[in-house]
Amino acid sequence: MKKFLKKANPSLIIGAAIILLVAVTAIVAFFWTPYAPNVMDNAHSYLKPGDDPAHLLGTDQFGRDILSRIMEGSKTVLIIGFISVICGAFAGTLLGSIAGVVKGPIGSIIMRAMEGFIAFPSALLAIMLVAVVGKGETGAIIAISIYTIAPFARLTNTMILENENLPAIKAAKSFGVDSKRLLTHYYLPMMLPRLLTQFSASVGSAIMTEAALSFLGLGVQPPNASWGLMLSNAKQYALLYPYLAFAPGIAIIVTVLGFHLLSDGLGDLLIKRRS
Amino acid sequence: MLNYCIKRIYSAVIVVIVVSIITFLMLSMVSGNAAILALGTDATPEQLAALEHEMGLDLPWYLQYFNWVKGLVRLDFGSSMLYGTDVLTLIIQRLPVTLSLALFSMLMSLTVSFILGTISAVRKGGIVDIICRSIMQLGTTIPGFWLSIIFIIYIALRSPVFPISGFVSPSESFEGYLASIFLPSLVLAIAETGSMLRAVRTSMLQSLNQDYIIMAKVQGLPRWKIYIKYGLRGALAAPLNVAGLKFARLLGGTTIVESVFSLPGLGRLVLVAVEQRDIFLLQGTAMFITASVVLISLAVDIITALMNPRMRLEGEQS
Repeated sequence: MKKFLKKANPSLIIGAAIILLVAVTAIVAFFWTPYAPNVMDNAHSYLKPGDDPAHLLGTDQFGRDILSRIMEGSKTVLIIGFISVICGAFAGTLLGSIAGVVKGPIGSIIMRAMEGFIAFPSALLAIMLVAVVGKGETGAIIAISIYTIAPFARLTNTMILENENLPAIKAAKSFGVDSKRLLTHYYLPMMLPRLLTQFSASVGSAIMTEAALSFLGLGVQPPNASWGLMLSNAKQYALLYPYLAFAPGIAIIVTVLGFHLLSDGLGDLLIKRRS
Repeated sequence: MLNYCIKRIYSAVIVVIVVSIITFLMLSMVSGNAAILALGTDATPEQLAALEHEMGLDLPWYLQYFNWVKGLVRLDFGSSMLYGTDVLTLIIQRLPVTLSLALFSMLMSLTVSFILGTISAVRKGGIVDIICRSIMQLGTTIPGFWLSIIFIIYIALRSPVFPISGFVSPSESFEGYLASIFLPSLVLAIAETGSMLRAVRTSMLQSLNQDYIIMAKVQGLPRWKIYIKYGLRGALAAPLNVAGLKFARLLGGTTIVESVFSLPGLGRLVLVAVEQRDIFLLQGTAMFITASVVLISLAVDIITALMNPRMRLEGEQS
């Protein structure tokens, strides 16, 4: 542990600290928020931060407590971010591995399809996927998972092609190790550092995509709380109540920054050590 | 060189074909039949069947795909159920807005990146370098929709120059056009500047390590001349290539900014198509955008290769 801390770089520590903070907020939000996040209280609408010590970050047009909604939003963000990237990363790694090990027509069909997905501008692909699977939280999760598959498949495939000529792999093949074991016991440990780095970066961009989709009205639906949705709400009242835009915006920036920093930090820590 | 071009064109064509298959299959899975959507739920089964037959929806999927591609090749992108006109006309109406956004934001981003990136590479570890590195880190984490709102609140609402929303066509008033496009382009530029800066900085650092730079220093040429005339010239190709590819991808990346600033561009068209479930419009627009992205990227790559013999060789080796 001491050794690990010595090696840890500032990016890794700051990134991990931010994510820990968001995770703790989300866990707390499961059991307790200062107010019920979706309950309206029209007597206390449009309180600016600091107007009322009982509403630390103020209230929105329905008098809903913004701090509670930010906390509730952190739950949404982490659930959607992690579930979709775990599914997408798993499917992508699997497809990339199959294409790398099996090769032949199946391999090249898989990789051509992945290249096709990568060719779409990312915002367009996310919106198209939502059009197919439907609006809402589940729609967003499925859309972001599918959207995450291609980068993972390409990364895995490239790494397998890079490593297949290593003596260890050749030796294993000559001993007759089957493809399944080759993947899980030989390739996977080699690929893990870069996969983890990519995973962290992907969660960051998944959170960004979820926020963007919710902002456009295609992701999380009202009255549920999501940072993107809160911003789209803030847009309508921006003229008179600009403070509505601050908290959710800062929450998104800090969280995404956390995942990017963690990804950079992991990259420095794990990938450099190997080379 | 010819080899490189052929290889590059071949793979671009394959990607366009794959993209067309993905677009077609994905959007033909959209729940609800286009004929039902067009006629409403009150239509009799006979009317439905007749329209389905007319639209070719009763054919097996590969024949439908084939017909669709046959249309695409003749630049027939189908017709929109919502607007009642053909998709290509709608796209051409909206293209200038998106093109302007992509162009202006890339110009802004390039200017800033070249100035800051060069200084940061020359004075590595200096204040500008530290600022640049934080921009690289922060630039990609600031959501465009948030920045748009902030710009509207703190710039557009307080200054008479920039409109809050809407697009002014350049034929109407050129100043108005620039003002209407400036803030949204700035939002896009800020998002792109992180990676642009990184490209310029890396390329410039490499370029400053070349022997001829050291030679120039030894000969006592003025510093600015070394950095601008020799250093920057050697560092131009890679960042310009990145900028071209980014420009291409921006054609499909302006949805959010267009939606916040109410600009009638391609991104809004896609959004309307999704909201109104206008499948043919969505299929046509998505195909148009993605094919343009692939083809512009192809052109950018070939132009960079033509300009830079070193890059051309690297292209052949890989």
